Amino acid sequence: MEGVPLYGYILLSALMFAIGTAGVIIKRNPIIIFMCIELMLNAANLSFLAFAKYHTAPLATTALEKWNVHMTGQMAVVFVMAVAAAEVAVGLGIIMAIFRMRHGVDIDEMSAMRG
Amino acid sequence: MSLGVVVFLVMAIVIVLSAWGVVVARNPVRSALSLVINFFTLALLYFGMHIDLLGISQILVYTGLIMMLFLFCILLLNLGAPDTLFEQSLFKRSVAWFIGGVLVLAVASQVIGPLAVADAGPSAPQGFGEAGSVGKALFTGWVYAFEIASVLLLVGIVGSILLAKRRD
Amino acid sequence: MEFITTSHAEHAPDPVFHWAWLILLAPIAGFLFQAALGRRIELALGRGAGRKLLGFAAVLPVLAGFVVSVLLAIRLAGMDEHSRLVITSWFPWIDLQTLLVPFELRIDPLSLTMCLIVTGVGSLIHIYATGYMAEDRDYPRFFTYFNLFIAFMLMLVMGNNLPLVFIGWEGVGLCSYLLIGYWYQDIENAKAANKAFIVNRIGDWGFALGIFLLYWVYASNQDLLPLGERRYLSFDVILPLAEQVLAGYGPLVVSAIPLLLFVGAVGKSAQWPLYLWLPDAMAGPTPVSALIHAATMVTAGVYLVARTHVFFELSTLSMAVVAGIGAFTALFAATVAFGQTDIKKVLAYSTVSQLGYMFLACGVGAFGAGMFHVTTHAFFKALLFLGSGAVIAAMAHNQDLRNYGNLRKYIPITYWTMLIAWLAIAGIPPFAGFWSKDEILAGAFFSNLVQTPQILWLIGWVTAFLTAGYMTRMMMLTFYGNEERWRKAEAHAHAVHTHEHPHAEHAAHEEHDTAYFLSEDEVRALEEEEHEHHHDLTPEHEPHEVVPSMWLPLAALAVLSLVGGAALSGFNPFAHLLGWHLPHLFEGWNHPSVGLSVLDEASAFRESAAIEWALIGASIGAAVLGIGLFARRYIKGLPGSEAEPQGLQRLAGEQWLYDRTMVRLFVDTGGKFANAFYRIFDSGIIDGIFVNGSAKLMGAMGLLLRRSQTGSVRFYALIIAIGAAVAMSYVIYITTR
Repeated sequence: MEGVPLYGYILLSALMFAIGTAGVIIKRNPIIIFMCIELMLNAANLSFLAFAKYHTAPLATTALEKWNVHMTGQMAVVFVMAVAAAEVAVGLGIIMAIFRMRHGVDIDEMSAMRG
Repeated sequence: MSLGVVVFLVMAIVIVLSAWGVVVARNPVRSALSLVINFFTLALLYFGMHIDLLGISQILVYTGLIMMLFLFCILLLNLGAPDTLFEQSLFKRSVAWFIGGVLVLAVASQVIGPLAVADAGPSAPQGFGEAGSVGKALFTGWVYAFEIASVLLLVGIVGSILLAKRRD
Repeated sequence: MEFITTSHAEHAPDPVFHWAWLILLAPIAGFLFQAALGRRIELALGRGAGRKLLGFAAVLPVLAGFVVSVLLAIRLAGMDEHSRLVITSWFPWIDLQTLLVPFELRIDPLSLTMCLIVTGVGSLIHIYATGYMAEDRDYPRFFTYFNLFIAFMLMLVMGNNLPLVFIGWEGVGLCSYLLIGYWYQDIENAKAANKAFIVNRIGDWGFALGIFLLYWVYASNQDLLPLGERRYLSFDVILPLAEQVLAGYGPLVVSAIPLLLFVGAVGKSAQWPLYLWLPDAMAGPTPVSALIHAATMVTAGVYLVARTHVFFELSTLSMAVVAGIGAFTALFAATVAFGQTDIKKVLAYSTVSQLGYMFLACGVGAFGAGMFHVTTHAFFKALLFLGSGAVIAAMAHNQDLRNYGNLRKYIPITYWTMLIAWLAIAGIPPFAGFWSKDEILAGAFFSNLVQTPQILWLIGWVTAFLTAGYMTRMMMLTFYGNEERWRKAEAHAHAVHTHEHPHAEHAAHEEHDTAYFLSEDEVRALEEEEHEHHHDLTPEHEPHEVVPSMWLPLAALAVLSLVGGAALSGFNPFAHLLGWHLPHLFEGWNHPSVGLSVLDEASAFRESAAIEWALIGASIGAAVLGIGLFARRYIKGLPGSEAEPQGLQRLAGEQWLYDRTMVRLFVDTGGKFANAFYRIFDSGIIDGIFVNGSAKLMGAMGLLLRRSQTGSVRFYALIIAIGAAVAMSYVIYITTR
């Protein structure tokens, strides 16, 4: 995909993120909200990778430093994936527990933390 | 317009539409399938950027692992039927979309102008997304973060088991 | 352990002086032993055998300290008169860049004199206490405090720097508090303990300020000190350089240092206006009164003044203040003693008066005479207190003089020993008190430090007369007269309130509310114990002589009171005159290396032997006159007019209303002030505005903010998204502007 500018990836990422945000706000099913959060995380991943590929690293002087700058974005994505996996496992566990307890998963009914 | 740009545009449209589908679908299963398409296309995009290992990880972790979990959850809880669990109020929906739009515009205003001018194309050296380079980086400079992430995953496993366990 | 010992002598000091640490450490070991194992040993071996062992273990460390003190004294006496100063240092205690306070002991004639008194008289009183306290509930607790007291007192007198002295100073204050309130079940005793502690705080405040001031003065004059010397509070550093260092300061600082130290001495040594605690301190067991409130602790103030006398000499004002306060207290307390009906109260005011005497000596520059009087007073006052303890024990713990009479028939040993003490304190030659008292009077008469010292001499002389008088009154009422007044029906019933509670059981049922800190089981145990031991003074009472462990110390102290003054009177500048010149170690404690020049000048005035003989005659005359006049009044028994003290005597008994005025002025007014302050500032401002006010403010804010806590997750998400959008827009706005 030669010739694609950096801002193309960033705009795509921003669109994904915005859609994810809107989804988190308007959906009432916690599982879908979770999916929207995953969407937002992936949007972030996309911009990480785009910057990793396109970053010019103006402050880096040695070849190793330049290399490290390109690797940093990928490393962030690796750890985002790890965290997302853990988060989904725990989050879905919580949803299951809530469902068992209340026999319903409307997030608007989960307001036990109301002040 | 080069072939690469055309391919990118197609993928971008698929990604946006599938993301849209996640939000607007009434049926959770459809949402989940849309998300699968989204993640899968995203992985293809990574391949196009020559970020091979993470593309594969994307397919394995997201489409494989995470989406399977979502589907299992939906099926177990019997949420497959179309439901009405979405915001009814038009006003709130408009607010949500408006905020999304603001975010997009904010980003766009920052990236299109300056980056379009300064864009010098990809600067990454050959083979920076290959398994060898990523693995080497993970086990040298980022090894502490890597180990901590492994602990985090372990804690996540233990936590989800505890949560899922039936307490009688 | 490694000790570094230095001395003024050319050659290195004898390593035997390391043993000085034993004097200090032995009572500490005894204290730890009693505190940790006392109760267990008593339980394991039973009351009889356990208490015997514990009593032995309590006396032993003090006795060991006395033996070591004697050895050191002999060794020190063998040294050159001008180099009798050994300092042995153990470890640096406070080690800062700007201050070094080592844990160091000072062995010189002054500290050894005090050591010999503390351990010698202290061990006698310990032996006495093993008998006196034998029936007490809390035997190990008593000796825990007693040994701890000895340890602190030794630290006070042996410490070579002011912080160490201060530890001892506070420590003896603590022990005094603990022992006055030893029978804490009686609320009156607890109050007396509190009073002693609080009044002492005033003195300690002055002492601490004096230490700070000294530190400030010396630390800002490093160039006058030896190179690299950081021990700004050690006596061997500050005392010889006092004159040079203070030369650069105005009269304010020069007078403030000794006066602040003297405030401490006034508190500890019970001088007017802070003497108030000492009479109340008689609430403690009699051995405590003897040890702490007569023989040792209260002399700490005199010791401090003598130790830091160079600062006093540099300020004429401070000397005049010391002499004035001392003279006034001596006279004042002597008059108050006439109005007392409680035998221990008489002795308490006598102590206050005699301490005033000692300060009078210090104030006129006769520090040696003051210390001499400390020594002899320790002998005869300890004897008087222990004797009074024997009387009290014989009289079923009734302390009222008006219930005594003709006791010499029943308790002859106590009578004969107390007779010696009586003559000693009255100042009849050759008993101990005569020598020191006469020396003080002569010092006052010849003093060149104050204007017209003859007035001070006159006050001292009148006090000597009064002392002989009130002691005669006490002795006559106790031992003479043919009427045995307790046999009369209805002995002074009100005296019940003044008598001691050695078994601590009366309080439990007499005043139920004072026993609130006892559990029901304890109260019951007390009541059972009471049935075994309780006895009160009844007309059928037969006084009995005390046990040997109690009268043996009496006999030893009687010997000391008889010959101690004469033997030690080499202190006495009159020594050559009277031909009493024993070679002894006490000379030279005021050597110039320790810094005392005025004393020599003062004694230079004593040229006329005729005047000296006249003074001796006058002081003997005062004693004889006092004894004669009051013996005539009281020999037959209690005069009818004194069944209830009237008029002036009653006023004197109430301390000329001083105590009451002070209580009204400071305690009541202070209480009202504190209460008002509490209501306005504490509950009004602090509680009302800051504590509750802030809580209320937060509560109100919380009430407002809780409306936003809907519990709806999506609402929160919306807020976050709006926040993100706004923040992002704002950042873009300010960066692109």
